[in-house]
Amino acid sequence: MSETPSKDKMQCNGLSAWFGSKQALKNINLTVKANSVTAIIGPSGCGKSTLVRCFNRMHELIPNSKIEGKVLLDGENIYADHVDPVLIRRRVGMVFQKPNPFPTMSIYDNVAAGLKLTGVKKGKNLDDIVKQSLEKAHLWDEVKDDLKKSGTSISGGQQQRLCIARAIALQPEVILMDEPCSALDPIATAKIEELIVSLKRDYTVVVVTHNMQQAARVSDFTAFLYLGQLVEYGATISVFENPKSELTEKYITGKFG
Amino acid sequence: MSRLLDVGLEQLTALVYRMGEVAEKTIDISIKGFMEGKDVTREVQELSEFLVPRTVEIEDKAFELIVKYQPVASDLRIINSYMKIAYDFERYVRYAWDISFTHKKLGLNNCAAWGSIEQLMEKVSEMVNKSVKALKHHDVELAKTLAETEKEVDKIFFNYIDQLAASTTETKRAMCNLLVARFLERIADHTTYIAEAIVYIDTGEKTTLR
Repeated sequence: MSETPSKDKMQCNGLSAWFGSKQALKNINLTVKANSVTAIIGPSGCGKSTLVRCFNRMHELIPNSKIEGKVLLDGENIYADHVDPVLIRRRVGMVFQKPNPFPTMSIYDNVAAGLKLTGVKKGKNLDDIVKQSLEKAHLWDEVKDDLKKSGTSISGGQQQRLCIARAIALQPEVILMDEPCSALDPIATAKIEELIVSLKRDYTVVVVTHNMQQAARVSDFTAFLYLGQLVEYGATISVFENPKSELTEKYITGKFG
Repeated sequence: MSRLLDVGLEQLTALVYRMGEVAEKTIDISIKGFMEGKDVTREVQELSEFLVPRTVEIEDKAFELIVKYQPVASDLRIINSYMKIAYDFERYVRYAWDISFTHKKLGLNNCAAWGSIEQLMEKVSEMVNKSVKALKHHDVELAKTLAETEKEVDKIFFNYIDQLAASTTETKRAMCNLLVARFLERIADHTTYIAEAIVYIDTGEKTTLR
């Protein structure tokens, strides 16, 4: 799909996660390559969203949640005692299933909001970052004359790209996307898919999707999760042409799930 | 509950199997015609006219399934391989036609079997039969045995050319036998292409058995 990514960006080592007494992830070992798109697929409830939420320490925000094992970002355990989870969430951004722009803010302020919290003052620098972020999210040309309009005044697909611009503005290294197209029509979905592929030039992308064709189209690597376990992980073309596990074969061919 | 794709795959499979049966029958007729000195071009032509449009039908069905269901894994490998196999069956019939046409063109009475052509015909008939059988039963082991027989066919074929070159066999008879031997050798090659497709469907490995 692209040049061969080589550097390891994130790694899970023996990662397990719980919601109270319910174990959602079981001993996951997985390496996410830098500047690649990794798709996480699997049936509902298999732990896909939990896995990506462990990648930026969002899982721990849920009461009674627990994790074991390590998640490394550039070789450093993000769950080590001295690590600030807020900084991790800045380095590892998240885009959610439903577009969720701040409803009371303008398009401009939606992108600038996170930056302002980090101390970036109003002015040319902020304007430049907002413009660059909207450009990288393939949205600038569509909204450049309407930056003062509400973030919710644009279409669902544009709102989702606005959320991606908002994540990009914080200059993350990894962007996690949890079913980013599930609420979008096919045209908006195609635009997000094009965006995902272009984003890997500058970022590492991990995308959770229920749409196997989408995983096949946009990702370089695919991980198949089932009942909290990593069943198969490999180059997307191999997983979709010749899966090693019979369980993967059955899932991707629609024989169960 | 069966998948919508399964209905289409069953139709595709039935078409490919039917093609295999007809292709095998056509080769049998052309080989028997040659051995018995009979003109079978008409029979072969009729079977060929039935079979060639089936390749287009299989291609159309395969494209329909790809467009409608975006198949992956073993489903995709089956569809891809069936398109290739349909082409190989088409080639079987084309070479069967070439055998019967050459036989007729050079004169039925001038083309009596010579040297190891009979052995070549037996081997190739057996290979064609095995390729169709291996396909129907998804029998990878049987498919793989075709590679060895194909090597034997090649050996017989090249020895045969040497024998013909060194012989004083009358020209028309030599031409006829040589061409027929060449068509048989090509049929043998196509049986191994089918064998490779059967292995690919089962294992996902793109092997070269020749």
